[in-house]
Amino acid sequence: MGVGTRPLRKPQRRPRLRTAGRRVDLPHRDGIRGARTIEAIAAHGLVKHFNGDVRAVDGIDLSVAEGEIFAFLGANGSGKTTTVRMLTTLLRPTAGSAAVAGFDVLRRASAVRRRIGVALQEAGLDDLQTGRELLSLQARLYEVPAREVAARATHLLRVVDLEDAADRRIKTYSGGMRRRLDLAAALVHRPGVVFLDEPTTGLDPISREAIWRYVGELNRGEGVTFFLTTQYLEEADRLAHNVAIMDRGRIVAEGSPEELKSAIGTDVVTLRIEGGSDELARAEQAVRRFDGVEDVRAVDDAVIVYVREGSAAIARLVLLLDEASLRAREVTLARPTLDDVFLQRTGHHLDAEDRTIEGPAARGQADGTRP
Amino acid sequence: MMRTLLDTYQLTLRALRESARQPALEIGNVFIPMFFFAVTVGAIGNVAGRAFGVDNYTGFQLPVAVLQAVAGASGTAGLGTVTDIERGYFDKLMLTPAPRISLVLGRLCADGVRVMALTILITVVGLIAGSGMKTGPLGVVVLVTMGGVFGLAYSGLGLALALKTGSAQAAQLGFLIFFPLVFLSPAFAPKQVFAPWLQFLATINPVTYIVEGMRALVLDGWDAGSLAGAFGSIAGLGIFTLTLVLLALRSRTA
Repeated sequence: MGVGTRPLRKPQRRPRLRTAGRRVDLPHRDGIRGARTIEAIAAHGLVKHFNGDVRAVDGIDLSVAEGEIFAFLGANGSGKTTTVRMLTTLLRPTAGSAAVAGFDVLRRASAVRRRIGVALQEAGLDDLQTGRELLSLQARLYEVPAREVAARATHLLRVVDLEDAADRRIKTYSGGMRRRLDLAAALVHRPGVVFLDEPTTGLDPISREAIWRYVGELNRGEGVTFFLTTQYLEEADRLAHNVAIMDRGRIVAEGSPEELKSAIGTDVVTLRIEGGSDELARAEQAVRRFDGVEDVRAVDDAVIVYVREGSAAIARLVLLLDEASLRAREVTLARPTLDDVFLQRTGHHLDAEDRTIEGPAARGQADGTRP
Repeated sequence: MMRTLLDTYQLTLRALRESARQPALEIGNVFIPMFFFAVTVGAIGNVAGRAFGVDNYTGFQLPVAVLQAVAGASGTAGLGTVTDIERGYFDKLMLTPAPRISLVLGRLCADGVRVMALTILITVVGLIAGSGMKTGPLGVVVLVTMGGVFGLAYSGLGLALALKTGSAQAAQLGFLIFFPLVFLSPAFAPKQVFAPWLQFLATINPVTYIVEGMRALVLDGWDAGSLAGAFGSIAGLGIFTLTLVLLALRSRTA
């Protein structure tokens, strides 16, 4: 784990390792003396600056075990793609080190490339080739034996449901088809580690579900390690064993989805306040007087209160507003989501349109330190 | 080494397949050299003997047509690479374990093959028009090879610009740079009739030696000095452009 991080390690879903044809459940990292987890991806102090002053990645430490699905969650411009490009040898880090599949990304870049599959944010395809031609070329460049190339391409086209379009030129493919072909191209050489950079951005719900299903099947069935970046909370919540939240080039929280949500409190009470910004500010001050409050955020026209036992707290919170001559036109109670975690750690919502909504507490999180 | 050759072969096939699927792009590469060949011979051919002692002006112009084919066809590597970069496919290739040099040699070799095909076509037209070939069938083979290797070497310029800038306009600068090089060579008249300043520029212009080497095959016969000068210039140009390409490729991962 990185500097300044308090590991949040309740028992996780056990990563699996294929050893001599057997699946072996690895021990957890905590609680078992001498336990070791094989790292598929490790980074220490990873930094990337552009043109001297743009700090796209500002000190990343991370560790991804074999067989894990690890999600990087963050808004546009938070540094996710830059991190992926460094881990996949497309960019040289400004500082720090990283190893993927046991090989240093700088000193043994070719060895890394041989062992990873990558589907970047833009489905990088050649429109003038057919799907089958592209997969066949990929297979050859990945040193798949010549006698297996055709069969491998056919198999993958079937897996991603592109058999009927296999011999059509890629320029005729829809966005979802292109994304599926890109995923197939990343898997043609059966890599142990796969990087997916926003794999479902821009896809319709059906295509998105299909991608999620493939990822889950490969992880469970083949023990493939996935490192995926996403702006979609649901994607991270559903797929990932562990999630790291990235903001302004730094990891600001890391843990399993359940751990992250539990850490910020058990309930989230949202009070939509009648009136303007003055009323909102007064409402925020009023609810802070409640003893059970763990955190308060003012966002748009709402005060978001993180409390334990929210159902019991609602009445008291409404009363506090009434005492301050304020009224809540809507009150909702919910379990925390990753969006709440994101809001608490970064001071703004994770919004796919990159609309940043800051609350007063955002200023206190400007240093981006991890919990 | 074997890996480099195999991957270069696969990527050359891919680039050639790409060209075959865009035949309209080849029309200009065929038409322009043929047009200038016909027009130049037609305009100057009848007076070339009296003006500067060249009796077989058709044969004299044949190498120039080949060089114009090189100029046109050699931009494909750069433009194709820009397209790959814009679509993200270049990153996909960079992510494979294929040696980095294969990624660029594939494009360059494809351009070389296309120039060789154009050279064959131009030579056939030239022979039909009466250029003759002093060195016979073997001379045709050497001429085609020289054209192909020169095309491969010169393509590196556009490719380097494409890798460095990701710009289609920049990738086509190779085509613009080529024309001054042709006109500053004995493309339309022997060097001996040039003004002193032009003679000097022609002497330091590597294209001069390529023109003279090709011309020797067509008009004079086997001339080791001319051939050495031609292949030496091509080799020097190739080393220069390949160096630029590798530096530009490295800058993409900086």
